[in-house]
Amino acid sequence: MKYFIFPVLFFVGLIATAQTKYITKSGEVSFEASVPTFEEVKANNSSVTAILNTDNGEFAALVLVKGFRFKNALMEEHFNENYVESDKYPKATFKGKILDFNLSKLKHQGYLHKMNGELTFHGKTKLLIDIMISISKDENIISVSGNFKVSTSDFDIKIPKIVSNKIAEEIELSFLFILKMK
Amino acid sequence: MRKYLYLIILIFFAIIGYNYLYKNHRVIATEKPEFALSSASLMSEFLNNSSEAELKYLNKTMEVSGVVSEVNQDNLTLNEQIFCKFSESINSLVKLGSETIVKGRLIGYDDLLEVVKLDQCSIISK
Repeated sequence: MKYFIFPVLFFVGLIATAQTKYITKSGEVSFEASVPTFEEVKANNSSVTAILNTDNGEFAALVLVKGFRFKNALMEEHFNENYVESDKYPKATFKGKILDFNLSKLKHQGYLHKMNGELTFHGKTKLLIDIMISISKDENIISVSGNFKVSTSDFDIKIPKIVSNKIAEEIELSFLFILKMK
Repeated sequence: MRKYLYLIILIFFAIIGYNYLYKNHRVIATEKPEFALSSASLMSEFLNNSSEAELKYLNKTMEVSGVVSEVNQDNLTLNEQIFCKFSESINSLVKLGSETIVKGRLIGYDDLLEVVKLDQCSIISK
């Protein structure tokens, strides 16, 4: 009998501790700081990691800053070397929580939620409140998308005077994560 | 005569200026790799000391070998350790479980999932 109970207990324990996580390694984050009539200042990163814990709505994302691609190669170089110093600060992270998250209520159609969390970038951390995100679920895939605005001064990113009229002070960030159950 | 000389000099500098402002992107696929190593040894360097490994490998073109543990439309993972992002669809090019060498640019270490990430990848051999 005891030979039988042991494995059963082991599996019961495993189920109790296992958390349901949805993960992606190829999430998309893009930002735009364009000013009308000047060349667009826009970049896209499509190798962003994101993890959603569906038991409590905790959400984390990690952006590798070098992965941002610009249309203009010189702009990409200046972005990495002068503005965000990606050799010194190669990562940007977000850690937060989706409010009133309930896995069983998710549907095929997008549902609006609020998310709070901390964004760390260029050595500075900023608390973001009430980011509006849309969440939908299709079988074992959860999609999370949304956008929000941040300011370059929040993250101590200095823009030289000479180009300051070509780069917007307020930056619009948008993201799309297609998360699969792990 | 002198007028033409000035004009030619002006055009010359305009071309140099334009080529600087609108220079081409690096083409990782044709660059010579600076490092060639297995996914296990690359990973162990990041696990040992991630900031030192970042200093050594960030933004460098490299060839990494390993067994394909996950394939998606435009990315694959080697030995569950090295994530490689491609610019085009690779579904038909690689098979799950096959030994592969991937060339790409190292963009950093993801400590949430403990994977090293490369972008602008291409497949060297199957």
